Amino acid sequence: MSSITLNNITKSYGNVQVIHEFSEIFQDKEFITLLGPSGCGKTTMLRMIAGFEKPTTGEIKIDNVTVSSPSKFVPPNERNIGMVFQSYAVWPHMNVFDNVAYPLKIQGVSRPEIKHRVENALESVHLSQYINRMPDELSGGQQQRVALGRALVSEPRVLLLDEPLSNLDAKLRESMRFEIKEVQRKFGITVVYVTHDQTEAMAMSDRIIVFNRGVVQQVDSPINIYRNPANQFVADFVGKINFLHGESSNGTITFSGGQSMSYSGDKLGSVVVAVRPENIFMTQDRGALRGTLTHSYYLGDENDCRVDFDGNIIRVISSGRSYGEIKAGSQVWLDFDEYLVFQDDGVDYTKILS
Amino acid sequence: MQVKNFLSFKTVLIFLIVLFLLVFNVFPMCYLVFKSFTGESGFTLEAFKRIYTHALNWNALRNTLLTAGLSMIFGVMIAFPLAWLVGRTDLYGKKFFRTLFVMTYMVPPYVGAMAWLRLLNPRVGTLNVWLADLFGLSQNLFNIYTIGGLVWVLTTFYYPYAFITISRAMEKMDPSLEEASKISGASPLKTVLTVTFPVMLPSIVAAGLLVFVSAASCYGIPSIIGAPGQIDTVTTRIIDYVYVGSQEGLSDATTLAVSLMIIANIVLYISTFICGKKQYITVSGKSTRPNIVELGRWRLPLTLLVSLFALIVVIIPFATVAMTSFTKNLGKALTLDNFTTRYWHILFTRKGILDTAKNSLISASVAATAGIIISCVMAWLLTRTRAKGRQIPDFLITLGSGTPSVVIALALIMTMSGRFGINIYNTLTIMIIAYMIKYLLMGMRTVVSAMSQIHPSLEEAALISGAKWQRGFWDVTLPLIAPSVVAGWFLIFMPSFYELTMSTLLYSTDTKTIGYELYNYQTYHSQQTASAIATGILLLVIIVNWLLNKLTKGEFSI
Repeated sequence: MSSITLNNITKSYGNVQVIHEFSEIFQDKEFITLLGPSGCGKTTMLRMIAGFEKPTTGEIKIDNVTVSSPSKFVPPNERNIGMVFQSYAVWPHMNVFDNVAYPLKIQGVSRPEIKHRVENALESVHLSQYINRMPDELSGGQQQRVALGRALVSEPRVLLLDEPLSNLDAKLRESMRFEIKEVQRKFGITVVYVTHDQTEAMAMSDRIIVFNRGVVQQVDSPINIYRNPANQFVADFVGKINFLHGESSNGTITFSGGQSMSYSGDKLGSVVVAVRPENIFMTQDRGALRGTLTHSYYLGDENDCRVDFDGNIIRVISSGRSYGEIKAGSQVWLDFDEYLVFQDDGVDYTKILS
Repeated sequence: MQVKNFLSFKTVLIFLIVLFLLVFNVFPMCYLVFKSFTGESGFTLEAFKRIYTHALNWNALRNTLLTAGLSMIFGVMIAFPLAWLVGRTDLYGKKFFRTLFVMTYMVPPYVGAMAWLRLLNPRVGTLNVWLADLFGLSQNLFNIYTIGGLVWVLTTFYYPYAFITISRAMEKMDPSLEEASKISGASPLKTVLTVTFPVMLPSIVAAGLLVFVSAASCYGIPSIIGAPGQIDTVTTRIIDYVYVGSQEGLSDATTLAVSLMIIANIVLYISTFICGKKQYITVSGKSTRPNIVELGRWRLPLTLLVSLFALIVVIIPFATVAMTSFTKNLGKALTLDNFTTRYWHILFTRKGILDTAKNSLISASVAATAGIIISCVMAWLLTRTRAKGRQIPDFLITLGSGTPSVVIALALIMTMSGRFGINIYNTLTIMIIAYMIKYLLMGMRTVVSAMSQIHPSLEEAALISGAKWQRGFWDVTLPLIAPSVVAGWFLIFMPSFYELTMSTLLYSTDTKTIGYELYNYQTYHSQQTASAIATGILLLVIIVNWLLNKLTKGEFSI
């Protein structure tokens, strides 16, 4: 129901700049994910939208109304935002009903109305039968849904979620992802979601903003983030990837081990070829490049392999059914189905995650 | 704009608290020090020279250092094994013992002196006579009117300070440190000696120093036990000098008080800034359940040993005081013939006692209420803001609390009697201020630790729900810290209620306190009446403890 506009936002604590200048507009009903390793500034970004932190410079507008600028600052309680905290922040001294009813009580909504709306909110987060429970009688997933219900009950313009699933187990995390997405569709709400889990980001977002060290790396749809990462950091952080160093000239890339492959792109000189393990096609009869299969691990849905490529170990993923077809130690042929080429600036992007 | 107002609001709060502390804490202390180093012609050590040419004062200083030092050593030697047995083993009746030892902390120390006086009087002490009969001795074993007797009573009443400090540190210690030692093959005893003890050493030293300062600043015990035995300590000398009343007396008192203050401040410095820095104990966010050591075949013998200790140190003295309050003739045993409720009747009817009780009740309530408000504000400033200068009041409060009571009272007398435009001498106000300066820290620590355990996101959730921060504080923070606020209130109230040392110096005809009244009865009039008052205070401690337990749903008891 509303857009969020960020204009030239920066944030510093003393001399330490934690967010570098950033501008973006989050559209109405859009599901935006702020993705990055811990300490990258994504939570700070979210807290500035909420109003818990004040940007050092720049302006934040919600629905074209300025909520934060050098001359104006609307405190969080006047922003009409819903938020789910990483620790849930479910008040331990109030039962489920009172927790969820709180925003409505503040607004001075009438009692019957509160009852009605809380019941609705609890229904949409599947908690109706726990209405009188105290938080310590609830599991982590249920507490998380109380927090979600509380964030939604006053039908806010914007919903902020700060790593809401990070304290849940894998199975629950997966089902909650779809529940949150469902709730967003139902309420038609603008969502800003913070996570360090790239699968979560991929599964839920309309657009993903990748952060590293306070600098925005890429703003794009999940598919573009994955298939056309803007740089090696994004390529490495989202999904699995192999980086191979080589030299590009005259339409060929020669790898450090001596083998080469044809290349039609425009990068010349020292380059890094980035290829995702599932985009490497491995056979025993023929292909473009040669290697030796050293290990393969059966994971059920996939066959996770390591191939010695002239001294570099690269990861190859093929379908689970192919496990055992090729014996460890055999010569294999490799074809790169889809890959990216980056100019090599000498920095190892696999080692700097934060 | 709103942010700016908010900031200045914090600054104003800090300013107000600092102002209070500056006027009633820092300035009087500084004046005291200044006074002791100046004569008619500027800076001089004349006053110190005069004081320490009296052998009496040298003796007093030596006695103070000796008794406090020995009490510190014995106190820690008792407290560490006790804290370990009660906190970390499967000792029988752990909870009961814990309550018993901690409750001693809330009992006025002079009650102990009264009890041991009756028990170990060299001629007629009950315990002495009983022991002599038992072993057929021709003369009594113990004499309470000695340095040894003084150390004994100081130790039995100040070891709980160490017990509480060490117990808390033990609770906070990460149990996996000990588990790692056991998995490496160390026996439980070996683990205690090689891991638990070294990790806890800074806390143990801090606990010992706390006992030292408390024992050195104690007035009640040395004045009740030391006076008949002619053993002076620095505190009794200071009060004697003040009672002389002359300008010279006051000036000598000042000089002695500064000596005591210097000792206390050095100790405080060591324990906060040197030991404090070396704290290895990491507090994890989750409440770690310490692993319990099974004592095996030692379980019963050790329980018996701890019971014996509790019997001698806690139960016998308290029972003695209670029994004394029902005894007609103190020279005889408490039989039916010798039983009377006369003194309890006096307790509830004599105007002098009721008036002083009322004075104590009023001043302790006001001090506790004002103190807890400051504690809450400080807790908020320390845990929720990054306001500049918020450490200053924290430091000053710690300093005030570490200053011996005699020194605080004397400094207030010197500065608050009109010389500098404020005259509150002879009023309850000066008592209230003295109590606050001395006991504020206890309340503050309790509220701060409760507040730091509340995740800020709980308050942020209220803000994002649309509540103003005041409303959020009321709806969310306050209910969650309420048990600690209540506990903190009582932690200031109780010691203020029965306070003796400062009241002895600050009272006037209309503002006598119950502690002073009790001391007066004990020393000059009737031990039985004093015992009835003391027993009344003991009952109050028990009732408060029970009440606190109820009010906080078992989260807190003293």
